[in-house]
Amino acid sequence: MKIPRTTLFLFLLPSLALIFIFGVYPVAYNIFLSLKDVNLISYIRGTAKDVGSLNYRTVLNDSLFWRALYNTIVFTLLSIALQMVVGFLLALLFNYEFPLKGFLQALVMIPWVMPIMVSGSFFRWFLNDNGFLNNLLASLNWIREPVRWITSEKTVIYSLTAVNVWLGIPFNFILLYTGMQQIPEELYESADIDGAAGWQKVLYITLPMLRPVIVATFILGCILTFKVFDLVWIVTRGGPGGASHLLSTFSYSLAFDRFQFGKSAAVLVLMQIIVILFVGFSNRIRLEER
Amino acid sequence: MSKKLLIGLLVLVWSLAVSFGAFAATTLTFQSYSNPTEQVAQFIQKVLIPELQKAHPDVEVNYVYIPFAEYMSTILQQAISNTLPDLVYLDNPWVPQLIEAGVFQKITDNVMQDLGEDFWMDFFPGHRLLTSKDNDIYALQVHTNNLAIFYRENLLKEAGIGEPPKTWAELQDACQKIKESLNLYGLMLYAGADEAGTWQFEPFLWSNGGSLMELDQPEAIEALGFVTGLVEKGYTPRDVIGLKDQGDVTIWFMNGQAAMMINGNWEFGWHLLPDVLEKLGDVKVTPFPVPEAGMKSAVLPFGGECVGITTSDSEKAKYAWELIRIWFGEKLDEYYEKWTGHIPTLASYAAKIANKRPEFEVFIKQAAYAVPRPPMGGMDKYPDVSNELALALQRSLTGAQTPEAAFKEAAQNIKSIFTPEEYEASKARAREILEEVLARAKGQ
Repeated sequence: MKIPRTTLFLFLLPSLALIFIFGVYPVAYNIFLSLKDVNLISYIRGTAKDVGSLNYRTVLNDSLFWRALYNTIVFTLLSIALQMVVGFLLALLFNYEFPLKGFLQALVMIPWVMPIMVSGSFFRWFLNDNGFLNNLLASLNWIREPVRWITSEKTVIYSLTAVNVWLGIPFNFILLYTGMQQIPEELYESADIDGAAGWQKVLYITLPMLRPVIVATFILGCILTFKVFDLVWIVTRGGPGGASHLLSTFSYSLAFDRFQFGKSAAVLVLMQIIVILFVGFSNRIRLEER
Repeated sequence: MSKKLLIGLLVLVWSLAVSFGAFAATTLTFQSYSNPTEQVAQFIQKVLIPELQKAHPDVEVNYVYIPFAEYMSTILQQAISNTLPDLVYLDNPWVPQLIEAGVFQKITDNVMQDLGEDFWMDFFPGHRLLTSKDNDIYALQVHTNNLAIFYRENLLKEAGIGEPPKTWAELQDACQKIKESLNLYGLMLYAGADEAGTWQFEPFLWSNGGSLMELDQPEAIEALGFVTGLVEKGYTPRDVIGLKDQGDVTIWFMNGQAAMMINGNWEFGWHLLPDVLEKLGDVKVTPFPVPEAGMKSAVLPFGGECVGITTSDSEKAKYAWELIRIWFGEKLDEYYEKWTGHIPTLASYAAKIANKRPEFEVFIKQAAYAVPRPPMGGMDKYPDVSNELALALQRSLTGAQTPEAAFKEAAQNIKSIFTPEEYEASKARAREILEEVLARAKGQ
């Protein structure tokens, strides 16, 4: 039976409406806001003036924006690199049968099932100058002065990245592990017959066969990490002195601490541009692969 | 079958009756971030609303609770979608912005006719300044609060400190003794990168003659240097920059990790409840320390909540005002004395409450030297100014910048928030308020 085009369109309509309401409209409205002088008063009164690119210029002149951009890049790249390496090693490990495997696998998944509110509050307490970690190191006589994990502008972003690595390992592990399960056992068996060493099997079979999964994990991970907000907001609120702001927390703080909605929208637009550039770039990589 | 029909009919009749009933009465919405179980909310629900209904049985009042963190964004959404509640209860620094935005209805005539000019003038000047604009009244501040030093008397004695510190020098001295003899933190305070961080630093800044609008001046830099010194010398933990809220400060204090803390009178209704005080047994309050001996009081910001009418429906506004009038007219004694851990905003009540609640005495005395925050920092631009100060405070406390560099940068950023004319006007305004209160504080 041939279905008329109009009927087909009717079936599409609900999803098109959803995409428009939750996708196109907010993005368009955000761009509109970013070009206006929107603060609490002008927003309520409806008197926000057009200011052209002023919000963008102000934001680009703000040292906090550049700090947040730098932090976002460091945070994303370091997180992804470490999460993928550790996740891959764990996946390799769990690919073997050994006692207590199920139990240990459940342990690995803990960071993922714990609400960020809980783990974030825990790490705030754990990493303070007077926190658990410093007390532990001091009691072992490893340090005299507390290490300033989250109270120094130099170290704070790396501490937060470490926490995020811990949080993100399960995600990487589970994707890579499921990927590994799909690799036919025969490949390894024939490699055994050829007398390949363990590392050679990983290098010449596991990694190449896993490539599509690795690329997908990488891109998904980058996008998920790029927009991380809750972890940083709960542990440091972007502090001390703005030193750990990511673009997401910086934009939130502009909107809801300072009611600078126009500038906040400008930061969000810049974030979107970065994501679009990144996705375009990664698509090109994938196309070249084929 | 007929049974189902009967039930259906009954449901229909019932729902019609209910909707008709609701339609006939006037329903007001009272919006607040005071948790329904807290004392202020209890007072509104158990005393104010029934009192209004005694006179007007057909008026319904719904108490709507919205958490503090979502409060302003909710009001914003409501204002834009024309769904504002009828009465709003909220933190005082937000009031100038909302007056400017046109969220509040004018209540000048109501106040003057029902409560009178004398009543209005009985409000401490700062509260009047905040809730009115161009000689029109838009809200009333229902209670106030400020900051002082809470201390553990026994710990101070153990450290060989006879009297609690009165000046900055004595404070530093006391901290040193506490550190040396007890190995405890001397003073706990709050320095998060938000309004509460600014609010806790303002008494140091203003008492020293520094202004939010002139952070690059020596008085301001000196104040920042003093607080930074407390952290550098290990008298105050650097972790104060990462606390969740001022309640966290009290947790350290209650745990015995610090001998003194900067906090507000509301703590007597939050963490330092009677059973806790009894268990600790030695908690006392002393005025906020002053930079130089001989000053009568530190210059402090005041906090507290205001109530205003947001409905533009004149019928609803009439009942909304009636509720406020009952609060400030017939029920004010009861409110201050029985229900809250807050200080009155009216001069004539202050002394009365001081007699009944001795733990508030210090705060009530200081209230005479407390000023509102927004006029000290560019009025409706205050949230932005405050944010710059809080960031600079954190940079200095963590050693990322010297106090001088941190405040020079902040001063530059604050200037760029305003147009040059606005900046000069705001600077002059803040100076004027500061000079007046400083003169009184110094007893000149």
